[in-house]
Amino acid sequence: MTWMDFPLYSSIIVILWIIGLLFLLISYTKEFVSKVAYTLFVAGWAVMIVFVIKLWLELGRPPMRTLGETRLWYATFLPLIGFVTYIRWKYKWFLAYSIGMAGMFLAINYMNPETYSKTLMPALQSPWFIPHVLVYLFSYAVLAASSIVAIKGLYDNFKENFNIETLKLADNLVYIGFAFLTLGLLFGALWAKEAWGHYWTWDPKEVWAFLTWMGYLIYIHYRHFHMHNTKQALTILALAFVVLLVCWFGVNYLPVANTSVHTYTQY
Amino acid sequence: MSENHLNVQRNLWENPWGYVESFFIGFGLIVTGFFLEVFVTTSNTFTLSYPYNVVFLAGYVSILFVLYKWFSTTQLIRWLTKVPASISSISLVTMMVMIMGIIPQVTSQNNIINNLGLNHITSNWAFLLIIFQFLTCLGLISIKRILQFKWSNFGFILNHTGLFLALIAGILGTGDLQRLSINVYEGKPSWIATDANRNEVELPFAFFLKDFLIDEYNPKLALVDNNTGSISHNNGKNLYLVEKGETYYFNNFEVKIEDFLPNAIRFGMRYEVVNEIGSPPAAKISVKNIETDTIQTGWISSGSFRYPYESFKISEDYSVVMTIPEVKKFSSDIDILTKDGERISAILEVNKPFSYKGWKIYQLSYDDKMGKWSNLSVLELVKDPWLPLIYIGIFMMIAGAFYMFWMGNKTTKNQLK
Repeated sequence: MTWMDFPLYSSIIVILWIIGLLFLLISYTKEFVSKVAYTLFVAGWAVMIVFVIKLWLELGRPPMRTLGETRLWYATFLPLIGFVTYIRWKYKWFLAYSIGMAGMFLAINYMNPETYSKTLMPALQSPWFIPHVLVYLFSYAVLAASSIVAIKGLYDNFKENFNIETLKLADNLVYIGFAFLTLGLLFGALWAKEAWGHYWTWDPKEVWAFLTWMGYLIYIHYRHFHMHNTKQALTILALAFVVLLVCWFGVNYLPVANTSVHTYTQY
Repeated sequence: MSENHLNVQRNLWENPWGYVESFFIGFGLIVTGFFLEVFVTTSNTFTLSYPYNVVFLAGYVSILFVLYKWFSTTQLIRWLTKVPASISSISLVTMMVMIMGIIPQVTSQNNIINNLGLNHITSNWAFLLIIFQFLTCLGLISIKRILQFKWSNFGFILNHTGLFLALIAGILGTGDLQRLSINVYEGKPSWIATDANRNEVELPFAFFLKDFLIDEYNPKLALVDNNTGSISHNNGKNLYLVEKGETYYFNNFEVKIEDFLPNAIRFGMRYEVVNEIGSPPAAKISVKNIETDTIQTGWISSGSFRYPYESFKISEDYSVVMTIPEVKKFSSDIDILTKDGERISAILEVNKPFSYKGWKIYQLSYDDKMGKWSNLSVLELVKDPWLPLIYIGIFMMIAGAFYMFWMGNKTTKNQLK
């Protein structure tokens, strides 16, 4: 029984990752230890892959049916996307974030070993579920980081020691986050076609996801052509994040909420 | 490049048009749209169906091409291919969609909402006009970049042209989109479907439902407040699944599930397994009060459309109940019967539609009052001939997103250096 081995495997992975994260933290001052951190992350990830393959062989079907199995996939793919992003863009905090999130999903699985929360409504049982949620998880993380940068920029602007590097960092984060946001939206559309018969139904969550996408679209276009109006750009970025937050948490409180297929909280 | 501080010196409508003019035109379109909503009172919405939508698309793209090719020096076309027009139309489309995100899109008690058509934004003239301007900008700049092709524009073309195709095919395709639902009963052929307006549509083939199957999760255990009747545990979330031998803790009660029967009926003091329509699940539980160290034993059942539920009172304040089992999976084993006497077998399941002669057939629902004893299966049939074009657009945008992730904002960075 492979789920029986889960506490053993997950402990090994989490311990490797925690030590790796410590090394990553040290590497901010002493660059040479960063290699140790990467080795530990990769080692943990290798253990993870072994576990997933063993589980798959044991079950004789893709382990994608229960919520616990879904979280296992989150924990598998988060470090992978984190590494690809890190290799390309060299943001260490982002690597730490993805490893941290993956560790969190392992911890949730460890604490709730399949005893409850294992009901998953039929519409959610789809191969699209994991990619759709994963890319949104990433997109929101990167866009949240971009708004923290925006707030720092607005504060610096107020103090009159604004540095254009701040905005360049925000730009890059928005581009990465927006790419993931687009993927999340489109994967959702492709999934909706398979599950509900239509790719776009103007469901309230879809409406707000579209608005979030448009908000960042305004920022990208504005930045592209008005590089020197920094304050306006920062304001647009902050407003776009407000729309994102409405999409994420706020939709459930709007008058339109009870017509949504995305509100799982109320039953 | 026209920057804001330069705009101050020039007069309104002076060449080239900037943000003020762009928003002026955009708002003009929206106001015109609302006028149309208020004064043109036709009940039917504006949709084009085959062949008019194909003609429209061909004409529209050709006009955009001609306009770009031979009229790109005119004021209007120059404005449409510049950023102020893009940003104003993106912002105004966002504004209109935001209305949709706040006001429920159903018939309203409020006359202003009804008259301005704020409860049917997707077919509102104001929305259609502003999205038309949005698409015109998008189409023109797509043509511009395609004609001036450079590899560095590759991502730009994927994103912009992809969005243009997906949007225009989505909008024009609504006229040809057919969504029908059909009730299919076990052991009977059915070929009369109904459309969204409840009109009957005769299908060129029939469905024969051989078997309808539901898989259920085990029911869940919940603690209910006897005074209010509401679930008083974990805010009603993450309830425990009923499984034989499990022990759960609620406040100071230890609840052990002694036995679980998926289909049972009460006989005197106990439940017995039966194989009968409408027999609900039942469980024997023993509840230990940790404070007083007393044990009570009893039966609980979730009930069904045929039998009442049974709860177990464990104190003055609390009872243990069993929830109605949640559905894990439902599927229909069907045969499609054609007029030539052909028989095609398929199993339909949620998330696993079946394609047949341009139709996609979906498992939609069933008689939820009967639950797993339902002999009715509701199927949905969807035909969307514009789907390939929409998918081309979507996949272009997916490729564009990967490009964007990898390249980042190269232009801005280079220009700032």
